[in-house]
Amino acid sequence: MKRKVLSVLLCGVLAVSMLAGCGSKSGDVVTNTDTEDAAENAAEDGSSATDTETAADSDMAYVVDKGTLVVGITDFEPMDYKDENGDWVGFDADMAKAFAESLGVDVEFVEIDWDNKVLELDGKSIDCVWNGMTLTDEVTSSMECTGAYLNNAQVVVVPKNVADKYQDTDSLADLSFAVEAGSAGEAEVSALGLNYTPVKAQSDALLEVASGTSDAAVIDSLMAAAMIGEGTSYADLTYTVALNSEKYGVGFRKGSDLAAVLDEFFVNAMADGSMQACAEQYGVQAALVQE
Amino acid sequence: MAQMPIVIGALNSGFLQTLRLFFITLIGAVPLGLLIAFGSMSKFRPLSMLSKFIVWIIRGTPLMIQLLIIFYFPGLVLHKQIWGGGETGRFLAASISFIINYACYFSEIYRGGIQSVPVGQEEAGLVLGMTKTQIFFKVKLMQMIKRIVPPMSNEIITLVKDTSLARIIALQEIIWAGQAFMKGSQGIAGEIWPLFFTAVYYLIFNGVLTVLLERLERKLDYFR
Repeated sequence: MKRKVLSVLLCGVLAVSMLAGCGSKSGDVVTNTDTEDAAENAAEDGSSATDTETAADSDMAYVVDKGTLVVGITDFEPMDYKDENGDWVGFDADMAKAFAESLGVDVEFVEIDWDNKVLELDGKSIDCVWNGMTLTDEVTSSMECTGAYLNNAQVVVVPKNVADKYQDTDSLADLSFAVEAGSAGEAEVSALGLNYTPVKAQSDALLEVASGTSDAAVIDSLMAAAMIGEGTSYADLTYTVALNSEKYGVGFRKGSDLAAVLDEFFVNAMADGSMQACAEQYGVQAALVQE
Repeated sequence: MAQMPIVIGALNSGFLQTLRLFFITLIGAVPLGLLIAFGSMSKFRPLSMLSKFIVWIIRGTPLMIQLLIIFYFPGLVLHKQIWGGGETGRFLAASISFIINYACYFSEIYRGGIQSVPVGQEEAGLVLGMTKTQIFFKVKLMQMIKRIVPPMSNEIITLVKDTSLARIIALQEIIWAGQAFMKGSQGIAGEIWPLFFTAVYYLIFNGVLTVLLERLERKLDYFR
């Protein structure tokens, strides 16, 4: 009987130590949030007299304070991609490095799942999305975005042998499309009332066309230029009609003041020619937004 | 086929990440599962209720959602990002999600194994004056291990493939590495085959695991 009591006690100790382990962890977190809240409150109290833009103030201060601008990207040539040494380069990557330098902070590139970009921003695992992001209503309503810096278009991708038949918008009516869910391409085909299947990524949309499960796909023109044609798995595909013209922007957390700071940085970079030089290096100079 | 070395290199480093997650999960979940199993079998009601509650939550929700919650909730809800945005943070969050998830499944397998040992053996042990601890380690444990090898092999092989779920929080395991070439990575764009080729890695590794686990099962055959 004594032993039974002992074993029950032991189990109890195990359980309590487990709980205690969890408890102290969450306790830490709570304390941290408390102090952060307190700091925010203090900042609000302190600046309410002088400045109304407190929430925005704190994001720039937050990034400068931790000393790193974490840029959320996907592997997307020519915007963000790895060179032979495994370093991130590209038009967006190089501009992001220059911007971080102007803030006096380091830059860190993190590959994210594109579907989770708003989650990543709000969860503070990244500070901005800088990856050839089309400024749609959805994007601008869920993030604090800069103005446009690059032009883009959504183009229709079809197999080469039937490309002649589909050179204008009217000819597309009887095709079945594959488009990236939530992309600008999806918005275009649904606005035209076309028959389409949403897929996970633009690359999946191409896979649909290549395998014949869909007749056509709608993807970014910059991406189409890099991904299809000779020397790829999609040598038999080509792109025809441009459905719209659209613009790329950079997204920050909702309410962040960094978007305005970056806008100013873009204006200066255009003025001193460094942005054009960078664009020429990656062959996107024709798409630059001229102001 | 000039792309082959680049693709294989990327897939290898992706698979290394897959293996890391696999082994860390095993190392963490095997003992944690035993702890949870003891909890659910405890005669102390609050402890057994708590263990069963945890097992219910973890087994009752998709691992993908658990990954999203563990990685994103600290930043979203508590406004304090505890993982960091980089690879290490994502790996840590994925490891913890997998360990908790698999520990719960393992605990039920352990419980089945322990309870399958006939009560008569425990009673005999008690009559001989052994303590409960002695009975567990000297009589029940090896019989339990022998009995749980087949269901554990099942879970372990599933775990190898489940690691691919971690790509939802952008952990760059092998499927992620394969998919990268569909869109464009390291100068190779629009290539489909690397994604499908990842299956070969899983297949070979699971083949090796199957042989090892079968060998273990045979070694434990002395009880018959």
